[in-house]
Amino acid sequence: MDGDPAVMKVPRSSSVEVKEDMDTKSEKQATRDALIDISFCGSTPMLWKVSDMKKCRSEGVIGALVGSLARQPRQNVRLGRPLELRPEEALLLLEKEKSTAAVRLDTQQDCEDEEAHSEAVRLYEAGLESSYQEQCVLALEDKKKTLNRVMNEKENGTEGSGSAVRERLEALDQSFSFPWSAMAVQLCTARSGFSHCPEERSFHSTDCPMPRDEHLNTRFSVYRDLRNKGYYLTSAGKFGGDFLVYPGDPLRFHAHYIALCVSLDEEMPVCDILAIARLGSNVKKTVLLCSPQEGDVVYSSLQWSSMV
Amino acid sequence: MADADASADAGNKQSVYHELLSPSELFEARSRSHKIPVRGQKEFLPSGSEQQSQRLQHSLEEHWTLLAEERVERLGNLVNAVWSPEEKLVELQSPAGKFWQTMGFSERGKQYLQPEEALYLMECGNVQVFYRDLPLSIQDGYERFLSSDTVTLHQYQVFGHLKRLGYVVNRFDPSSVSSTYERQLNLPASDKQKKQLKRKRSQSPVSSDKHGISTEEKTTSEAHNELAETSKLPADLQEPVHLADAPERTWWMEEDVQQKHPKTQTAAPRWDFSSISFPDLGSRRRSERLASPHRSLLPENVDVGECDVSRWLGRLNMKQEKLSRRDMERQRERDRYRRDVNSDREVRRCRNWAEYSELMEERRRRRRKHRPEHLWEREETPLTQPGQCTSHRELLDQIGIIKSSTFSEGLSRLSPSDQWKISFDVYQPDTVAEFKKSHPGKPYTRMCVCSFAGPVPDLHAVKQLSFQSQDVPVTFAVVDHGDISFYCFKDFKLPTDVY
Repeated sequence: MDGDPAVMKVPRSSSVEVKEDMDTKSEKQATRDALIDISFCGSTPMLWKVSDMKKCRSEGVIGALVGSLARQPRQNVRLGRPLELRPEEALLLLEKEKSTAAVRLDTQQDCEDEEAHSEAVRLYEAGLESSYQEQCVLALEDKKKTLNRVMNEKENGTEGSGSAVRERLEALDQSFSFPWSAMAVQLCTARSGFSHCPEERSFHSTDCPMPRDEHLNTRFSVYRDLRNKGYYLTSAGKFGGDFLVYPGDPLRFHAHYIALCVSLDEEMPVCDILAIARLGSNVKKTVLLCSPQEGDVVYSSLQWSSMV
Repeated sequence: MADADASADAGNKQSVYHELLSPSELFEARSRSHKIPVRGQKEFLPSGSEQQSQRLQHSLEEHWTLLAEERVERLGNLVNAVWSPEEKLVELQSPAGKFWQTMGFSERGKQYLQPEEALYLMECGNVQVFYRDLPLSIQDGYERFLSSDTVTLHQYQVFGHLKRLGYVVNRFDPSSVSSTYERQLNLPASDKQKKQLKRKRSQSPVSSDKHGISTEEKTTSEAHNELAETSKLPADLQEPVHLADAPERTWWMEEDVQQKHPKTQTAAPRWDFSSISFPDLGSRRRSERLASPHRSLLPENVDVGECDVSRWLGRLNMKQEKLSRRDMERQRERDRYRRDVNSDREVRRCRNWAEYSELMEERRRRRRKHRPEHLWEREETPLTQPGQCTSHRELLDQIGIIKSSTFSEGLSRLSPSDQWKISFDVYQPDTVAEFKKSHPGKPYTRMCVCSFAGPVPDLHAVKQLSFQSQDVPVTFAVVDHGDISFYCFKDFKLPTDVY
């Protein structure tokens, strides 16, 4: 159901039943967990859950983080979720459907059923209430602990310390108040109700709203080939190319190549080749001209050398 | 159904993948660290060593920890708001916080936020937006608030980037740009709010001919007074006053000029100055009386007789100017190389401007007779001749066949394009303290958002955007999968003079 962040408490009495259900449910859960949820913002594929991002990275798909980081939202040095995927990366994930990672399309659906919606609202409010109760208890305990610690430090070893502490604790019990506005609340990043979504659609590459043109196909062939060779690829717009090619994970290694995807029959003016070669030598990366040819990809590297 | 959900939830709670925090985790989140760990140096080649893979693991773990952290806020610090998809706005339900100084607007007693502002505040953890009584997640915000009707994903990325740096970013409103004329007049910035409820006062309607004529008459009479007070004019060049000759003529206005008045009041008045003769009260042959104006120029029932200008004439200063010694020296310096045009006998013989220009033309022709025939008597003549120019710039101007143009030329012929639009006004961060939403002032720059996948803006687009933006420079924000680069085009004038 859409937008249902209810936190349910499992009553202890029914734990046995839960366990039996869990066996069959855990199988479903296992298959569910193996799926990657891709959601679209317009025509841009995005990942929202950390688990999905981890799975992607294990496939070698890096993506780019474009949101604010939760810990420090007002800086641009390190960004947070969502992870924006390139169309080539999304297509690669779709292709692997048959192997380990399957992909599921995550679309927002406004709940038509009034009853189900009001049920969801009720659950949410109940969740808030129970969270508040628990936090009240935790806050009181926390206060008592600090009080104990402070008082024991102050009156270490004195005779009347025990009774004084007890008195203070009793006073605290009576006067303690934890207002509703002091409650800590979570602002969810990913849509949390997705796993409760009743219908599961299998996602086909024709479903995705990404526009496909010749250039995308060329780029995808090159991307797939380089990925299969074990390289990691990210965007290279600022370097004048299509991809930056890393020998290992971009977190720890520098890029070695700037890949530019051109089709074999495309005409490239010499000044363009000169420009990209110059650029490559300035940033100390080798420029690769990549062209798909009958299922394989042909690579040409450019090296700037002086006339002797 | 509820039970099934409960058990599923129990399973979820135990699995690592669920992202909801328990109350105890929420409580513990109060004492979370706010520091971001620094990333170490990168390495060049993967060597497959244990050390490298350990470091990689460590970096990855740090990375996931940072990303997995959820936003936890104290409920009292959150401002509640409601998303309204029909209006595509977010309405605040509780009083706004510090962000109200630079974001949001009020209308009909309610406080609203634009969707991109609301989404940014959601990401900062300041606002909680509800839709149908349930809170929206950031993902919901991205998918619901960002569309081509409101703000696209790329535009939001630029918006967020600038806001995180501290800039004040507003949506661009084409009607808020002041025209060149308004800036010349230095009008105080009118209250141009995005949704103006007060209707502007409509223009007074164009009335009959008489109304038009009387206003023109008023302005010309002011001009007349100004002229009367100027000092001596070369009498011979002045057109003789026709007043005595033709009393039935209108008072220094020709008949045909009147016929032009019925045209729209807003059109620039086109007067035929060759037929308008201004009375010259400073000339020697001056009359003490001016004829009365034509009845059509006056309001009804007003009868004006002859105008006795002797009083004015008495106030004209015809005395010789007494200059101080310094002024006299200065004048002598100026006059040393100046020759009075009127000392030329031939010029004095001219009776009007037309004869004067004929004389000048004749002189030019005489000069040209000394030029070589094979150059000057053909169809194509040289662009310049020796001795004609005194500086490089003049010379280059004369021989320049291709004229250089600036951004602001030829703009009226440009039609607005669909592809290139200005998205935002950007104001600098250090003006935040004095920033007023009602009078934001001139923005620091205006943003046009595009992407590396699209075309580079051509000259047409650059010109059209800079015209639309008038005196504020336009910056292009190019988005490439989360990476944003800023470019701007500047007008450059080729140097034409050697110093």
